[in-house]
Amino acid sequence: MDSTRPETSSRADTADREIVISRVIDAPRELVFEAFTDVRHLSQWWGPAGFTTTTRAFEFRVGGVWDFVMRGPDGTDYSEWITWTELVPPERIAMLHGEYRDDPNAFESVLTFAADGAATRIEMLTVFPTRELRDEAIEKHGAIEAGQQTLGNLAAYVAETRAGRRRS
Amino acid sequence: MARAATTSDVFNAIAEPRRREILALLRAGERPVTELADALGMTQPGASKHLRVLREVGLVRDRREGKQRLYGLDARGLRAVHEWTGGFEQFWNASFDRLDAYVQDMKQERQEG
Repeated sequence: MDSTRPETSSRADTADREIVISRVIDAPRELVFEAFTDVRHLSQWWGPAGFTTTTRAFEFRVGGVWDFVMRGPDGTDYSEWITWTELVPPERIAMLHGEYRDDPNAFESVLTFAADGAATRIEMLTVFPTRELRDEAIEKHGAIEAGQQTLGNLAAYVAETRAGRRRS
Repeated sequence: MARAATTSDVFNAIAEPRRREILALLRAGERPVTELADALGMTQPGASKHLRVLREVGLVRDRREGKQRLYGLDARGLRAVHEWTGGFEQFWNASFDRLDAYVQDMKQERQEG
């Protein structure tokens, strides 16, 4: 990493407690955004391959809640509780992500959707209340993901193969 | 075996901030305990205690050179940490893989429909 490179998106005050993940998807921005707006869509892709979601409540609006259980391929259940804090279709979604209502360890993710030609660049900036909570989340998701790496790689491979076949 | 939880688990071992500082110092290369203790502003027995925990979980190895013992990072133990810390990103990258495939299906349906 070249430290002299100008970093427009990085904010020094939160750098040690944030995680940025980005992805370019070959589809119009409106369509990619739509996949985040309805549980019918979300339940089809949320979590790595082999994970399923069972929704208790879902209301897509600022202040609305998605209360659900995520089940891993090994049968382990993970309680998830999401509330949206900002919605700007089709540009931005901000959400608070915890394990239950009023979870003090909840963290905020801001998803931005930017048109990139005919494709869409998603950037997910997650800022944790403290560096310790970030490390904890990493460990928790690491635990969820542990043993799923093979499946994850398989999913990536399948997605690439499918996308490649569609493009060619 | 009261200390089993700390000494058998890499993540319990690095939950202690001073031990993470030791690992950060060792990134620059092998060092004797006296130098580590100085750099951390700790007593030598205090630093030794942390080093023992780090060694037992496979994050640090030691070797004798002449009269002194040198401590260095143990790549094998760190590999587990590296894989583990990638968890959040892996989780989301795997989700985005599925999102990508799903959105391609949506796109195709819209085009056909």
